Parts: sequence; C-alpha cells; structure tokens
Amino acid sequence: MFFEVLTRLWLTAAALMTSQYVIAGPMGFNDSYMAMGDFNNHWRESFINYAITPRDALGVGATYMRADDKTKTRTLEEVIYTRLLQRWNLPHAQANVWFIGGVGALQGEDKQEGVHHDVSKVMITPGIQFDYETTRVYFAATHRFYRASDINHDFTSARAGFSFYETDYDKTQPWLIVEARNMNGLSDKVEVTPMLRLINKNFFVEAGVNNAREPRFNFMYIF
Amino acid sequence: MKKLSIVLLVSTVLFSQWAMAATQTIQAKVNGMVCAFCAQGIEKKMRGLSQTKDVYVNLKQRIVAVELKEGQTLPESTVKDLIKDAGYDVTAIEITDHPVAHIKAEIESKQGVK
Repeated sequence: MFFEVLTRLWLTAAALMTSQYVIAGPMGFNDSYMAMGDFNNHWRESFINYAITPRDALGVGATYMRADDKTKTRTLEEVIYTRLLQRWNLPHAQANVWFIGGVGALQGEDKQEGVHHDVSKVMITPGIQFDYETTRVYFAATHRFYRASDINHDFTSARAGFSFYETDYDKTQPWLIVEARNMNGLSDKVEVTPMLRLINKNFFVEAGVNNAREPRFNFMYIF
Repeated sequence: MKKLSIVLLVSTVLFSQWAMAATQTIQAKVNGMVCAFCAQGIEKKMRGLSQTKDVYVNLKQRIVAVELKEGQTLPESTVKDLIKDAGYDVTAIEITDHPVAHIKAEIESKQGVK
C-alpha cells in the first residue's frame, strides 16, 4: 500500500529491518551480542550485532528476498550500524528513537516477460525507528530507505500489541502482536501478520500467519 | 561463674560470626525496565561482579536487588553505573540487610504471586 514497484531490493531491506524491530531495541546491552532471525516464504534473514557501547552496535546481516509474483529474487549482505539516538525511561514505560543504517552488496535477478536480468549493486539502508513499550502494550514504527542506483526499496512497518497478563521477570510472557509492513518494489500489498510472541529473559520468539496465509517465524537471542 | 563465662564467650563468638555474616543487599528503583528480554542485561552485569551473591529483578515493582557475598562491599555508584550502561535510569537506591530471597518473598506476597 505504501509502496509498490520495487519488489526485489525492498524485500531484502524489509527482511533485514523486520528482524531488527521485533523488540523495543534492535541491539542488546553494552558488550553483548544480539542474534536475530526472520523467516517466511518471501524472505529468510539472519542478523547479528555487537553492542560496542550502551548506545552503539555494529553487525552483519544476510537476507534472501523474493517478490510476491516470484519474478524477482534478491540477496543482501550488509554491514549495519545501530545507534540509540534518544531514550526516555519512564516509571512504567520506555520509548526510544533508533538510527539503523547499513551498506552492503545487493545481488539478484529479474525474470519478467521472458527477459532475465541480473542485479549486482551497492545498497545503502539508513532508517529510523520509534518504539514505545510498557509491560502490557507495545508499539513501533519504522521507516528505512533501501537505495541503490536506479533502485528504491524503502521499507515501512508498524507494530502494535499487548501482553495477555503480567508475569515475573523470570517467567515467559505471551503477547499478541500485529504487524503491517510494505516493501516498495517487492510487493504491492501491505502484509499484515498477527503473531503470538513469547518473551522471556533468555529468548524471544514470534510465530504467526500473514494475510496471504503464509507462516512466519521470528526469534531473537542476546548473549 | 565459670559456666556464665563460657556462655558469654560462646555467645560473643556466635554473635560476632552472625554479625560478620550479616547480609547486605543493594536495592535500586529503576525507570524504563519493562521488558525481561531487554532487562536481562542488568542481571548479567550484576552477576558478573565478584561481590555478587544473588540478584533479583522485578519489572512491575521496578526493582533490582543485588545481594552481596559475606564480607563484600560494593559502591552504590557501581550499581547505578551498571544499570545505566544497561540502558536504564536509577531513581532511588538503598542498602538493606535483607537477603534477596526475603525481598522477593515480600514483594511476591504483596503481588499475590504463588
């Protein structure tokens, strides 16, 4: 809905971004690693970063993307920098503004009207995320540019949800999260995915089925 | 008189042992701590300290409690700095002689946790 045309690169970007936004922060605490994965039929992505300071992280990610009509496929390998621009620590809530930007190699192919065309370009992916979270509600909005020469695969996502009940710190808390997202050029639809989120101090997993009836699975792990 | 002296001596020794073994727990009130997955950094940092015996985190009450090993001390500023490094703000901090288990039981009792 937000964007239509650029199926290939956008999917790559979207996959990468999605995994970064599944929780309030796209990075862990200082001196920690965060590993993430985001998988559905149109993309499979894995990502890891290392928090070099309480506000900065460096990482690498690899993503496979495919257009809805399967005429375009993309792979993106990126080096990504994450910066916590602003944080508000409230008594029972936290809000953040993040910068996430990467540069990497975009490769793929287009197969349209009998024409086969290979893609190999450098892509840059600067973006912004805002999120707000309490122990019971969650909201995040993300926009990230995915640009290369003659390519625009900008990604937009909004997530909102609630937890079913409060839990202790060391117990698993279930959430219902709904995400709407679009990747320009890879899909002309808005993908809407309700997901069950299970969050624990040691793990984070989400699973759901989108409005195209495709399964989706996310995970995150900090160590 | 001899028995009294022995009792006093034993009592003194036992009391001094008890006093030396007295629990010291640093308890901080923390803003922004709403997600266990995100707040695990606080616990890991605290457990990484050589002085730490046990750690308790309660998101709803916004509490981080660090129980120290016997005879160990830890500056409050260290606790504040570690929590800040984990991405949160300390709004109040105090030292108590209650062990973490006691603090946890007390809070969970108030919350009605079974």
